[in-house]
Amino acid sequence: MTLATRTNGFARSMIRRAALAVAAIATLSAASVQLGAQEARLLAIQDDATRSMVRDFIEAARARGTPTEPLVSRALEGVAFRATAKRIEQAMVALEERIGRSRELLAPRATVDELAAAADALANGVPASAIRDLRKIAPYRQITVEIGVLTELVAKGVAPKKAAVMVRDLMARGATGTQLTELNAAVQQDVAFGVTPVAALELRGRGVMSLLSPSASVNAAIRP
Amino acid sequence: MIEERDELVDRAARALSAMSPVKAGAVARVLMAVRASKVRPQPAWKRSVRWLEDASVSARAAGMLVAASLVVGFVLRGTVDVAGYSTQALSETPVALQTISDAGAESRGVPVAMVFELANAKSVAVVGDFNGWDPAATPMQRVGEDGPWSATLLAKPGRHTYAFLVDGSTLVADPLAAKATSPDFGGDASVMMVRTP
Repeated sequence: MTLATRTNGFARSMIRRAALAVAAIATLSAASVQLGAQEARLLAIQDDATRSMVRDFIEAARARGTPTEPLVSRALEGVAFRATAKRIEQAMVALEERIGRSRELLAPRATVDELAAAADALANGVPASAIRDLRKIAPYRQITVEIGVLTELVAKGVAPKKAAVMVRDLMARGATGTQLTELNAAVQQDVAFGVTPVAALELRGRGVMSLLSPSASVNAAIRP
Repeated sequence: MIEERDELVDRAARALSAMSPVKAGAVARVLMAVRASKVRPQPAWKRSVRWLEDASVSARAAGMLVAASLVVGFVLRGTVDVAGYSTQALSETPVALQTISDAGAESRGVPVAMVFELANAKSVAVVGDFNGWDPAATPMQRVGEDGPWSATLLAKPGRHTYAFLVDGSTLVADPLAAKATSPDFGGDASVMMVRTP
């Protein structure tokens, strides 16, 4: 065996070992990054008892299979609003329930962002059936923006059923998230000038509708 | 038939004939000794260590392993809330997690510029659901000595509620944005809609 052959063998062996080490580190790092980040964020909670309560709740939620990121966010929101520990706990309990309901409504698949958006929608009075309808229209893409627009319309005073029907019909006719966002902005502007929310939505919604190709049947798009 | 005698063969034959004959039973003893020294199975951890020492994985396999790990790491980092799902829960959840291929533009952050005017503030930060209401995540910088406070943050497309945290303790709604009331805490905040890029 020549010196060159032995050197090549050693180099290959070292490369393989390094590759194995990098693979292991990459996998472990990806899994631990979020856990570490969440723990660091909990340190923003000054009160020890509150932080302990939040940490325990998060651990329990994780064991139940609930995505914990929205829960951590809600806890820190409560701290920012100077809510009591009890109020924060109640908010986390309510949010976890809404996330669970959102999972059912967005089945068979959903991202964490969609779950959080749907939970927010439910909290603001959006009908559960409206969220289910949106998912049926777009089962293979994210609908975070669409849910957000619907939430905002309802939060600003549009009757939930009216808002749900308008957003659903626009989606069924192919309205993009950007078009819906612009619709929402226009409605907010009209309301600021004194138009009633329902009238503003009706007016602006028709405007967007006129830009879209007529759909054969909206009901067909949401048929189970 | 021509018989050619090789000098090397002759020397080998002479050397072998000079050796003393093998004693009876010697072969049997050697075979028994070999059987007795048969390698016992090692525990899994020892085999693993040995496998690593031998580095018997091919360079191509190692490369593929690294690539797969990086892909998995990227998917977990961006799309899946790793901390939020236990292994057991994943198998029971009725909603499947969305894969990276269809997460699309809505999973990417969009730069959003924020400006806030408050002359006598010592520090201002933006807190909202885009940064998990983390007071350390998005500090604002004052423009000039007594100019407005500004920051640029990344927010995913969708509806976001937020507020400005003044001097680390006081929440102030954005006077230039639509108002929102926290459903759970009742406080005043602001709302912004981030559109898909």
